[in-house]
Amino acid sequence: MKDLQRLRTSLKEEVELALNAQVKMEAEASSKYLAMASWCEVNGYLYSAKYFFKQAEEEREHMLKIFHYLADQGVMAYAPEVGPVPHDYPSFRSIFEAALQSEINVTHSINRLVTLCRRVEDYATENFLQWFVKEQVEEEINARRALELFDVIGEEGTGRFQIDRHVYKITQLDVE
Amino acid sequence: MKDSFTLHELYRTAKGFTQQCDLTNRIILNFGEQVIAFRYLDFVSFRRKVDRVNLHDMIFNLDDAYDFEVIEAPKSNQQLVLTLCDLVQLRDLLSGTQFALDLNSMLHEALYTYAY
Repeated sequence: MKDLQRLRTSLKEEVELALNAQVKMEAEASSKYLAMASWCEVNGYLYSAKYFFKQAEEEREHMLKIFHYLADQGVMAYAPEVGPVPHDYPSFRSIFEAALQSEINVTHSINRLVTLCRRVEDYATENFLQWFVKEQVEEEINARRALELFDVIGEEGTGRFQIDRHVYKITQLDVE
Repeated sequence: MKDSFTLHELYRTAKGFTQQCDLTNRIILNFGEQVIAFRYLDFVSFRRKVDRVNLHDMIFNLDDAYDFEVIEAPKSNQQLVLTLCDLVQLRDLLSGTQFALDLNSMLHEALYTYAY
């Protein structure tokens, strides 16, 4: 009797479902960054807006990376439904605090995925996920650096203007 | 031609049974009057559709719309009109089938890896 399951895919169903959940999480993260970019733009923080637009694109790229991996493994990747995301933030600083928390949540989720892969002995997916482990280290560093600017520069006087100008330098974005 | 060498029973309940055809690589569902052949991926998709139906709503909502659930079988141009009892029985059959497929896969990994 043939092993139809293995002939179709090497992914265990629990890994497949967890990866699809990660697709959704990355899409939600992208949407949150887009909302943050929008807030920054309408409140005059144009460099930060650029920074968040770039972050939104990156999260979408992460989502597609997992999406393609699922398809390559012969299983269905589900286009995620993204619910409403917050568009109101009490302050400029609170946006960066929310961004850091979002990155921490993604890191936890990736770590849980790696743990799952080890438990079910899916070393190929674990290897695939190592890129995300590394990427999350960088993402958290960037998010923390942005918050550090508030402490280093201070918000008094033209502080927020200076912070905004320096935010884009975190990822060396090309802002005219 | 399908025969006992290519057709293997996966799971059987009072309401139906499933078989695996090694000739066509299909999972064949016999449920009530209907016979549907699935590719593995479509079978999984169909099982998830059936599992997603909210039985609680069907039990407690008195609206006629909640008496039946219509589920389309992927790529077969067939629809199943299912009552609450049908759904419970179909879930039982599909989860038993999935178990048999999982078990077969585990056995292949454990027993046949060095045989080829």
